[in-house]
Amino acid sequence: MSGYIIPILFIAIFCYAKYKKVPAYDTFVKGAKKSIPLVVDIFPFIATIMIAVALLRASGLTILLANVFSPIFNLLGIPTQLTELVLLRPFTGSGSYALLNDVFLTYGVDSYISRCACTILGCSETIFYVTAVYTSGTKVKKLLYAIPIALICAIVGSVVACLLCRII
Amino acid sequence: MNKIWFAMVVGSICALFWTSPENVLSCMIDASSGAFKLALEMCAVYAVWLGLLEIVDASGLSGKLAKLLHPLIKKIFKIDDAETEKMIALNMSANMLGLGNASTPMGIAAMRRLDNGSGVASHAIIMLIVLNSTSIQLLPSTIIGLRASAGAANPADIILPTLLSTLCTFILGIFLVMFIGKIREKIRRKNT
Repeated sequence: MSGYIIPILFIAIFCYAKYKKVPAYDTFVKGAKKSIPLVVDIFPFIATIMIAVALLRASGLTILLANVFSPIFNLLGIPTQLTELVLLRPFTGSGSYALLNDVFLTYGVDSYISRCACTILGCSETIFYVTAVYTSGTKVKKLLYAIPIALICAIVGSVVACLLCRII
Repeated sequence: MNKIWFAMVVGSICALFWTSPENVLSCMIDASSGAFKLALEMCAVYAVWLGLLEIVDASGLSGKLAKLLHPLIKKIFKIDDAETEKMIALNMSANMLGLGNASTPMGIAAMRRLDNGSGVASHAIIMLIVLNSTSIQLLPSTIIGLRASAGAANPADIILPTLLSTLCTFILGIFLVMFIGKIREKIRRKNT
């Protein structure tokens, strides 16, 4: 099902553009040209965050943090096995997908734990990464309460996700 | 951001100091080269999406989408600028379709237009960050793909719980940003 969305989207947009007499080739080139300065702008931000995450994982501090947080998360209904996933998710997309794969291999894809992990990943975002990339081209330094609210939402989302997986 | 990054890096390096000090630099360089590869990949991905989005924009579709979402955007972002609304509308629509890579360039464009140069995030900027951290996903396509390739009996069985929990966080996010914004305004009024 999901495989059809992209082709349908592209065909619909191209046909509509044709109907509106938009020069497809020239316009596409104009847009694609913007990708290079964009990536040049955001690369330092990605690198800086990825360095911190790599150090955190290599040092074993994530496991230590997971041990500290798991009793709290347990109280909220998040399984102990998923503490590390919930903690790493705000920082790294690829890192959390690697953890998800471990969960699949250890507990089986159709287990409660795996379905929980999938739902948590599906309903959350890489908050710190998103924030760094989005503010990369601006002068904004003080984000006030943006990150705390995003983190609260992520925790609440994880709790709801674990609860829903038990029912549905 | 500065404090969190400092704590992460210094804490980790201190921990590695006892276990494997020789790995610190190689670990950092590995991560940085990983970021470079990711950036190259993103450059390619963005070229496709930005090309398509330019066509969407030129054909007037984005304006229509913005008009459709105008009441909602005006209410929660408290802005009145057609061009910025267009970017936000595209950003939110791409997010809902699970096209994270397509939504990012639009989000950045909207953010640059919202920036007033004061260095402090405005209500709209905070809202945009929070909504992009919690946004509704109608179709978590990446996860479904991963489940399918891992051999799940029914890879799509997480759609409903994901949709419901992301709906919760979406509403909670909007509510919290509006709520704190109002409290801050009240305090400011009292002070003046």
